Amino acid sequence: MNTVMSNKRIIALYVLPSLFLILAIIYVPIVLTGYYGLMNWNGIGKPSYIGLANYKTLMHDSVFWHSTFHSLLFALLSTLCLILYLAVALVLSGKIRGANLLRKIYLIPMLLSSVAIAQLWLKVYHPTNGILNGLLEKLGFHHTPEWLADPHIVLYAIFIPILWQFAGFYILIYYAALKNIPASLVEAAKIDGANALQVALRIKLPLISEVIKVTIVLAVVGSLKYFDLIYVMTDGGPNQASEVMASYMYHKAFREFDFGYGSAIGFFLLIICLVATWVIRRLTATKDTIQYS
Amino acid sequence: MPSMSTAIRPRTEEAVSARTLSSSIGYGVLYVVLAATAVLQLLPLLWLLLFSLKNNQEIFNLSPFALPKTLHWSNYSTVWEQGSIGRYFFNSLWITVVSVVLTILLANFVTFAMTRMKWKLSGIVLGLFMIGMMIPVHSTLIPLFSLFKKVHLTDSQLSIVLSYIAFNLPLTIMILMGFYMALPKEVEEASIMDGCSVNRMFFRIILPMTASVSVTAAIINMIYNWNEFIFVNTFLSDDSKKTLTVGIQNFVGQYTTNWGAIGATLMISILPILVIFFLLSNRIVEGIAAGSVKG
Amino acid sequence: MKSKILTLGTLLIATTLVVTACGGNSGNNNAANSSAGTDNSASDSSNANASSGNSNSGAASDEKITLKMMHLWPDGSNSAQNKMVTDIISEYEKANPNVTIDTEVLENEQYKNKLKVLSASNDLPDVGFTWAAGFMDPYVNGNMFAPVDDLLQGELKDKFVAGTTEAYSFGGKTYALPVELNIVPVYYNKEIFAKYNLQAPKTLDELKTVIKTLNDNNVTPITLGGKDAWPSSFWYMYLADRIGGPDVMDKAVASNDFNDPALLDAAKQAQELVNMNAFVKGYNGLSNEEAKALFMNEKAAMFAMGTWEVPNYTTSPDVPQAFKDKIGYFKFPTVDGGKGNVDDWVGGPGVGLFVSQNSKHVDEAKKFVSFFVQKWGEHSVTDAGVIPATKVDTSTVKLPPMFIDLLNELNKASKVTLYLDTQMKPGASDAHHNLVQALLGKAVTPDEFIKKQDEALKAGK
Repeated sequence: MNTVMSNKRIIALYVLPSLFLILAIIYVPIVLTGYYGLMNWNGIGKPSYIGLANYKTLMHDSVFWHSTFHSLLFALLSTLCLILYLAVALVLSGKIRGANLLRKIYLIPMLLSSVAIAQLWLKVYHPTNGILNGLLEKLGFHHTPEWLADPHIVLYAIFIPILWQFAGFYILIYYAALKNIPASLVEAAKIDGANALQVALRIKLPLISEVIKVTIVLAVVGSLKYFDLIYVMTDGGPNQASEVMASYMYHKAFREFDFGYGSAIGFFLLIICLVATWVIRRLTATKDTIQYS
Repeated sequence: MPSMSTAIRPRTEEAVSARTLSSSIGYGVLYVVLAATAVLQLLPLLWLLLFSLKNNQEIFNLSPFALPKTLHWSNYSTVWEQGSIGRYFFNSLWITVVSVVLTILLANFVTFAMTRMKWKLSGIVLGLFMIGMMIPVHSTLIPLFSLFKKVHLTDSQLSIVLSYIAFNLPLTIMILMGFYMALPKEVEEASIMDGCSVNRMFFRIILPMTASVSVTAAIINMIYNWNEFIFVNTFLSDDSKKTLTVGIQNFVGQYTTNWGAIGATLMISILPILVIFFLLSNRIVEGIAAGSVKG
Repeated sequence: MKSKILTLGTLLIATTLVVTACGGNSGNNNAANSSAGTDNSASDSSNANASSGNSNSGAASDEKITLKMMHLWPDGSNSAQNKMVTDIISEYEKANPNVTIDTEVLENEQYKNKLKVLSASNDLPDVGFTWAAGFMDPYVNGNMFAPVDDLLQGELKDKFVAGTTEAYSFGGKTYALPVELNIVPVYYNKEIFAKYNLQAPKTLDELKTVIKTLNDNNVTPITLGGKDAWPSSFWYMYLADRIGGPDVMDKAVASNDFNDPALLDAAKQAQELVNMNAFVKGYNGLSNEEAKALFMNEKAAMFAMGTWEVPNYTTSPDVPQAFKDKIGYFKFPTVDGGKGNVDDWVGGPGVGLFVSQNSKHVDEAKKFVSFFVQKWGEHSVTDAGVIPATKVDTSTVKLPPMFIDLLNELNKASKVTLYLDTQMKPGASDAHHNLVQALLGKAVTPDEFIKKQDEALKAGK
């Protein structure tokens, strides 16, 4: 058994092609990002080595820390939202009439590209003829918020579409995981008299715990480097109130031609992601992996 | 599960009927909530359809769900005539299909080797793949362009396929991993006892068992690849090689943008993915049934 | 001892760097000649007749040349410009059968990104478009663009509107040729004005009265796309010009000193307009596109925007004539006691054509650029409603009155101050966008605005 399952030739055959691809296409940029981070470079001409100067500037750059905070906040909120997604997936995977159609409908927003989603939510948030303010005015509010123009609200206003955009993604994963649980296990518990909630909490959740851990990492890493909707909906504004790490990196590298500094931000973002992943791994570590018995 | 055994007790008739009554009320509420959510999730499609039938003025001034005075079907003909949509469509299709198939296959190989086989470096390799998810896309553009230039892959669709595979591999592996780790060990043990080779076991037994998650990952991959445009714009120059998302940008102007036409392009581009999604997502349920777990 | 060797070593490396840098930098003609020389197939190199200029004979050379060109007018959104580019190219290819021109079209933002990626890999197209001044500064310093002074002194002499090519010149050399020229009037809805008995304001105080009257009647006075920031900059710039005079901003950018008291006064005035609710609700969350839609739908009375909008009020078939008839424009009002003149404008050339320094066919590319600029000048007003940077003879072309009026305004302009965000280098320019947004969002005080803009300029990036 052990000798068969540690056949070096097969491991190499299975892993090396992908590994090679990753090293070439992702690690070359990662290494170069680290390298450019040590340079004063506008992206054109010869870079000049300046050591850790970019990182020193970064430490005192209040906008950078604001955007880091915003990114971390997104990561936290996204993780909390996973509970909501999981609940929906649990309901959908249960024996509900029409569940098959419902779950497909629920995932439709996921199919829309960010361009479409951003346009839709711009219409929702429009200060004078948006859906949201229209609704509020009908309810009798006179001073309706300027959703995307108010620095105090904008961050949360932008988080709602993100939550909505990714709902489908996580529900899909949870749903598949729940459907992968052998029906016999659930049936056995039901025969034992467990109600739906008990089955969900005691049987289903432990069985998909590995998947849940993975989704937490995905949600955190995904939020930390999130860019799309923010770029289209506010471009980090107003007055950088919705700037996140990835958008700040983009602004520095591509708008301000400070590619060295932008790369330093990119590299720092990578490190924060690494640390976050490590922390999550530690927090969710279990002694032994739960398996179907 | 200790709690289960204590839960067994004889049920009386009344208890059962009370339970069905309260549970049917509960189900009623649940259905209302579910249906309301479904409507909410369907609205974007309706909105997009209406969006694609308006002109710029109506898009910005009418309420998003209001009907325009005249339906501007001309947006669709504009899209059809001005953008080379047909070619973009074909490019999107084959690039997406090839990338998704290869990604899923490669990711299954890697995940299998990492979770089911025993070797010293598996932890490090897993780490390498995970770090791959953490770099922001815009940091990679300049390095990747120089790389592709060195290997003469600029303006080649191969560069796009390779990038899609590489950038989706970490995510796909992560998704697969949760499932692979939950697979019972007995499966391999039994098949190896039967004298199955590792290759045979992987293709005949493991791969079919993970069909549901592979399909899930495939759907996610498909959506990402289908909607991606930064790589396409950066690595390709020849218009005839570009994909549908670039067709959208055809209507973004220096000072003005033709939003109606963008809506029409989005509508056209979402249809195939909607169809594939509806077809594929049935496989998620069937996946486990087709697997070799019996009892 | 050791350190001596080290310094010697670094000196040596430094010298080699300088030498190689100079080698790649020794003037355009050398580079062009040497690169032409490497094209071994060219026996009668296109060099000679290219510099002689307007030779449409087509007998130039048999050598097949492909020029790559990038532009930013997709067919779907800027079909008129797109068609003009295609027409000019096919005309050129007909006259020069040995030349093929491949175009790549990208939308504005994507265009800028790709230009950056390409230049980082030294892979710019032979011909492309750049924005003026600050935007092209890194490209010029990185020796990416070839100087085109030979064209300006040759066949393009006196073809451009005075002052337009300066925005593309660095250290006495010009690195791109402008194709568009715009100024920024304030468009207003005459019907709304008439309804409340208002006149186009001549002074800032009159403007304030107009704003107050409109607000009293629940009409949004001014629509503004503050999310994009550059439209907000127009308002700040005009206030600065009217208070501090025509040179105050040029001087501030040139000397990296934003401390002129007039600039502070302008910031204060800008916030006063904000306090009066001059701008549409939520303007800092609106894109220019969204803001414009409010004006087009008569939900706002005034809109300050470049002359590229004029077709919407004159010729565009998509806009109802009834609306077009309601729209007029006024020049930005003067400020009592200010040094600015009512004929000072904010504006300037938009994109300009560059020739890549590393092009294998610099001379052929220049020849094409020269041809392009001239043809563009002939067709752009009539075909696309775009004001070219080359001179237009208004007596020979038939144009809508608003167009003629604005072209005449341009001719008698006492000064056109180039957009601040264009003047400034990329770092300071991005800071300007953030700051002007913050100023109008009252997230900074006028003093902080001045201080931070000054710091951004002095950072020199």
